[in-house]
Amino acid sequence: MFSLFKKEVQSYFYSPLAYVISALFVLIYSLSFIQWITSLTKLNLQFSFAAIFYNQFFYFIFLVPMLTMKTFAEERRMNTEVLLMSTPLNVFKIVMGKFLAIGVVFAMIMALTFLYPIITAVYGEVRWGSLVCGYLGFFLWGMGCVAVGMLVSSFTENQIIAAIFGEAAMLILWFMDKFNDIEWMRSKPVLSSLLSAVSPKSRFEGFATGVFRVSDVVFYVTFIAVFLCWTMISVEKRRWSRG
Amino acid sequence: MIEIKNLTKNYGQIEAVKGISFTANKNEVLGFLGPNGAGKSTTMNMIVGYLPPTSGEILIDGMSMNDNPREVKKKIGYLPELPPLYLDMKVIEYLRFVAGIKEVPKADREHQVARALSRLKITDMKNRVIKNLSKGYRQRVGFAQALIGDPQVLILDEPTVGLDPNQTMEVRNLINMLRKDHTIIFSSHILGEVSAVCDRIVIIDKGEIKAVDTKDNLTGTSSDGIVYVLRIEGVCADVEKLLKETDGIKNIMDISFVDENTSEFKLELESEDVRKTLVSKMIENDFSIVEIKKISMSLEEVFASVTRGKSYSGLASSENSDKD
Repeated sequence: MFSLFKKEVQSYFYSPLAYVISALFVLIYSLSFIQWITSLTKLNLQFSFAAIFYNQFFYFIFLVPMLTMKTFAEERRMNTEVLLMSTPLNVFKIVMGKFLAIGVVFAMIMALTFLYPIITAVYGEVRWGSLVCGYLGFFLWGMGCVAVGMLVSSFTENQIIAAIFGEAAMLILWFMDKFNDIEWMRSKPVLSSLLSAVSPKSRFEGFATGVFRVSDVVFYVTFIAVFLCWTMISVEKRRWSRG
Repeated sequence: MIEIKNLTKNYGQIEAVKGISFTANKNEVLGFLGPNGAGKSTTMNMIVGYLPPTSGEILIDGMSMNDNPREVKKKIGYLPELPPLYLDMKVIEYLRFVAGIKEVPKADREHQVARALSRLKITDMKNRVIKNLSKGYRQRVGFAQALIGDPQVLILDEPTVGLDPNQTMEVRNLINMLRKDHTIIFSSHILGEVSAVCDRIVIIDKGEIKAVDTKDNLTGTSSDGIVYVLRIEGVCADVEKLLKETDGIKNIMDISFVDENTSEFKLELESEDVRKTLVSKMIENDFSIVEIKKISMSLEEVFASVTRGKSYSGLASSENSDKD
């Protein structure tokens, strides 16, 4: 599995893909950061990195499908799926290898933004606890989106289709709790509480305010596990119904 | 070594492989011959464990893929029709990666990669990025990949498609070198290739096995079907009439005109003795014989007659139905 993991990480750096995505990510992050510090006044000399993350996430979810679109779609199109499946690797190892590889790439991209807390620490004061909490929440939520993106990629052999449907899935995840504002949903308290319970965005609010709750971590881990299992089933199923 | 029992694969309503059975013995090269869409690739994909069969069993070295996929897969090297390459990788990186996922012990990896490179004569290319290689070289990298892990069984799906004649020759030589210690299943729709390399041949069409036999038996050198080509100077119609009167000629398979006064007849005789009668009859009637030669039915003809749905007389059915 380690070989597959290593190859997957490298594959993001053979092409400009990882570089372009990180550049875009840092650009958006920088713009949010600038926006916050320029709006600082004498009355309010505080700003929150977690809040930057919170805003950032809306843009970031559009980058996730770029990272995940090729995971299975390309293997299938290039016929390399045959190679993976005819070696001692099993579906669990293939999915995990790919997922962890994207996790590493994602962590590298996130690491680029450490620059800003460092700058802030030089000229001011950083609340490290809340910062770490923000990073952790962002990472967990991001990996949840990656799991969803991988699932979408396993449905098709066309990367573009995988990307487009991936974006659609991300939008649904983002706006999920907004459905609760609909009049009809208000009349269905069970349904709306269920919806807010499974909405990953509301779980992030804890992390964003610097509150670390084990239940939130468990939620994200479960969320990831569910989608990874679904991906394994989907990959396995394609083998059976191929033709 | 490889035992296939009643293997079936359905794609929805379509039956791609309909209950085929055959075996490949240890260190044997088995040719897998059939037109496009016959079910060759599907069968091979099932043998290597990529596609699960609808029903039937595959035993490699007595072990079933269902019971112990990990161990069985280690015994197999597979070169699919389209080589499974990561175009962005360098040749050597790719082969190291394959060695890794095939669970070759770390200490042995470099050695195996180097050996595969030298066997395929691509050592010079090892630092090239695969997408910059020509088709012939990509095919060889794919072949090298199949050799990694030192598998006892090699499954090669049309390994020479798209190669130039020299490269085809090299692939053949390579197979000849590997046959000493590998069991090889080799598919092709090019008959010459199969007959040049394989010990035994399986002919498959529309998902069914039409014939399994050695090359010699299939082409009829040891069975019936004594075929002569006779080139004769004389009026064609008269010669034909005479031939029809001669006893012992089973079948006039073909008549072609060479020039105004010469024609060529392809005849199937009942026995070798008929040749003598035939020659003396021609001389009696003042037809001069330009050429007479014995030919064996080419694999192409066997293949054509088998896949056209006629039974091959050397196989299961004993009737001699080829009389048209």
